[in-house]
Amino acid sequence: MTTGSSTTTGDTPLFDAESQFGTFFDDPRWALALIRATVLEAAHPQVGAALADNSAFVAHPWRRLRNTFLSMRRMFDADPAVREREAARLNRLHARMSGSDARGRAYDAMDRATRAWVVATLFEGAVTMCRLGGQPLDQDTMERMYAEYRAFLAALDGDAGELPEDVNDFWRYFDRVVEEELENTEAVRIILYRLFDHLPAPALLAGAPTLWAAGRAVVGPLLGAITVASLPEPYRRRAGLPEMPGAPTLMQGAYFAAGLTRFLPEGWINAETIIEALFLSPDSDDPRARTVTVLHARMKRASALLRLLTPLGDDTDPDPANATGEGRRSAKEFFHQVLDQTGDGHLDWPDLAAMARELATRLDLDEPEETRLYDAFAAWWRELQAALDTDGDGRVSADEYAAAVPSLAGPALIRVAEVLFDATDKDGSGAIDADEHRTLFRTAFHRDLATTHSTYGRSAFVGDFLSFMSGRRTNTPYDPLLADA
Amino acid sequence: MRAVPRHVACVMDGNGRWAQRRSLPRTAGHRAAETTVIDIIEAARAAGVEWLSLYAFSTENWNRPGSEVDYLMRLVRRVVRKHAPLLLARGIRCRFLGVADPRIPRELTRDFEDLATLTADSRGMTLTVAFDHGGRRDIVEAARSLIRSGTPAEEVTEQLFADHLPFPDTPDVDLVIRTSGEQRISNFMLWQVAYAEWVFPEALWPDFRAPDFLACLHTYRRRDRRFGGVPPQTNGDPS
Repeated sequence: MTTGSSTTTGDTPLFDAESQFGTFFDDPRWALALIRATVLEAAHPQVGAALADNSAFVAHPWRRLRNTFLSMRRMFDADPAVREREAARLNRLHARMSGSDARGRAYDAMDRATRAWVVATLFEGAVTMCRLGGQPLDQDTMERMYAEYRAFLAALDGDAGELPEDVNDFWRYFDRVVEEELENTEAVRIILYRLFDHLPAPALLAGAPTLWAAGRAVVGPLLGAITVASLPEPYRRRAGLPEMPGAPTLMQGAYFAAGLTRFLPEGWINAETIIEALFLSPDSDDPRARTVTVLHARMKRASALLRLLTPLGDDTDPDPANATGEGRRSAKEFFHQVLDQTGDGHLDWPDLAAMARELATRLDLDEPEETRLYDAFAAWWRELQAALDTDGDGRVSADEYAAAVPSLAGPALIRVAEVLFDATDKDGSGAIDADEHRTLFRTAFHRDLATTHSTYGRSAFVGDFLSFMSGRRTNTPYDPLLADA
Repeated sequence: MRAVPRHVACVMDGNGRWAQRRSLPRTAGHRAAETTVIDIIEAARAAGVEWLSLYAFSTENWNRPGSEVDYLMRLVRRVVRKHAPLLLARGIRCRFLGVADPRIPRELTRDFEDLATLTADSRGMTLTVAFDHGGRRDIVEAARSLIRSGTPAEEVTEQLFADHLPFPDTPDVDLVIRTSGEQRISNFMLWQVAYAEWVFPEALWPDFRAPDFLACLHTYRRRDRRFGGVPPQTNGDPS
C-alpha cells in the first residue's frame, strides 16, 4: 500500500508460481515488510509528495490494501495479456499523478528513477524481512529474486535500466539513496504517527467501534515502534526518528514470531482469504455473510459489555455524529467519509480523482471510457470549485462545503452519473443487469430494486447517485464503494 | 389456587415519603430503592415469574424539580452499569420501554441500548424497565404506526393494534403491585393492564422486600380472575 506505484510493484514475478515472490505472498512477515517498504518509499521526496497529494490511504486504507492486492495478483497472473493490461492500467493511473510538493518541487509518478526506487524498497524489504526473522536468504536465492524484481520493473517501464544489473551494485545504490535522497517527508510522518493511531475499522469490524478502538490503541503504537526500529540507521538519524529502549528487540521478536507461522500446515494463512474477509459486511449477499452477522452480534455484545464495565468519568461520547441517524448524514460526516478521499481535511482535485480511480478500478475500465470518467469528474470539480470555494484558495474546506450544500447537484454531477452509468452498462443495453450491478457494487440488487424490475434503469441510477452525492442518503450501495474505509 | 402470574408489574412508589420520614433528602429514597429493585428481580426470577416490568420514571416525572431529575438520571446510569454483568449472568433479558425524551442524557440511552444488546439473547426472565414511559403515549404511537402502515379501518382488531405497541411480544400484565398504599394507575402500560389484578401493599418501595413480594403473589393466586366473562385463554400472547 502506497502510491499507486507500489501497488503495482507489490509483486513481482511475472513468471511462474515458484518464483521467490510467490513464496512470500502468504507470509505474515510480508505485512510488516510492506509497511516498512511503504515508509521507505514515502521518505523519497517524489513518492512522498505524490502520496500526500493523491493517495486515499489515510482515509480508506483497507480499500487501498485490497486494490493493491488485486493489482498484485494480476501482475502475477499466468496469462501475459492480463499482466500487460494491468501494467498499462497502472501506467495510465500513474500518468495522472503529477504536481508539486509543499516546497514547490515538481513530482511525477511516471518518473523512472522514482519508480525504480519503489521496486528497490520492495526487494530490499523482502531480503530484510528474512534477515530480521533470523533466516537470511542465501546468495543464489537473492540473485534470483533480484532478477525477478528487475523484470517486474521492466514490465512497467519498458526496461530496468534504472536499477543496477547486479545485486552487489544494488546495495551500493540502495545505501546511497537512503543516505542522500531520503527525507523526513510529510507522508512518512502521516504513516508513522497518524495512520496507525487513527486507522479506521474495516467493514468486517465496523460494527464494533469500541473494540476496534481498544485494540488499535495497543497495536497502533506497537506497529509504529516496530516499523521505526526496522528502518535503516542512517535514515532514522537523518529523519530524527526516536530510538526507544527495547524497540529493536520488539521488532526482531515480531518478525521472528511472524516467521514461525511457516510451521503451520500449508494453506492456513492465505492473504486473499484474509483480505476478502475484512471486506465482508453483514448486508452483503455472500454466503459467509450470515456467519459475519452472527459474529457482528457477538462483537456488539462484547462492545456493549466493555462500555458498561468502563468506569464512569469520561462522559463525553467520542462520536456525536451517530446521533443524526435516520439514513441521512450531516454535511460534515459526508464531507469526511465520502468527499475527502485523501483525508487531508480539504476537498480538491486529488479527492475526486481518487473517486474516479476507485470507480475505474472497480469497473476495470479501458480507454477511452476511463478518460471519459476522469473528464466528467474534472468537470464536476470545476463546478464545485466555482460554487463552493468562497475564499479562493483553490480548494474547498469542510465549512465552505457545509455552507453551500444545496448547490452540489449541478449539471456536471448529473453528467458524472450518466458517464458512470454508461461505463457500468457494459453491454449497452440501456439498463444495468445483475452482473453489471455486481461489478460496480460487489453485491446483488437490493430487495427494493428487485421487486419492480430485474434491471436498473438509467434514470433510477442517476437519481440514486445524485441522492447519494447531494441528498447524503446513507445505506445505499455507494457506501461500501466510496465511504467505507 | 391458580398458577404464578406470568407477567408482574411494579409501580415503585414511596421513595420520597420513605426519605421524608427519616428526615433525609428525597434523593436518599431513590438511592435506597436500588436494593429493593435487585431484591425483587431475584425474588421474581426464583418464583418463576417470566416477565417483570418496573415503572421507573413516567412522562409526568419530568415535572419534578430539576435537581431531583438530574440525580435520578445519574443514579439510574450508575445502577444500570453496576448490575449489568449480574443481569447478564442471571440470564435476564433487559429492555427499556419509553426512553424517547431528548432530555435523557445521551450516555444514559447509550447504556440502556448496551444493556439491551448485551442481554438480548437471555431467556431466563424478561425485565422491562419503563423509563420515560406513558401508557397513553404508547397507544398514540401505535395508532400512528397503524395509520402509517395504511391499514383499512375495518381490519383493525385488538390483536392487530397490540402488534403496533412497543415490544409487541409483551404479554398482558397479570398482576400489578403498587407500593405505599396509593391506588392509582398513573398512565402505566394502559393497554397491557386491561385485565390485571392489582394489589396495594402499604410498605414504601425502599422497605418492600422479597417476602412482601411473595405475599403479593400469594394474594394473586387466591383471587378469582374472571376477565369480565372472557375466557382466561386471552391472557397474554400465546407465543
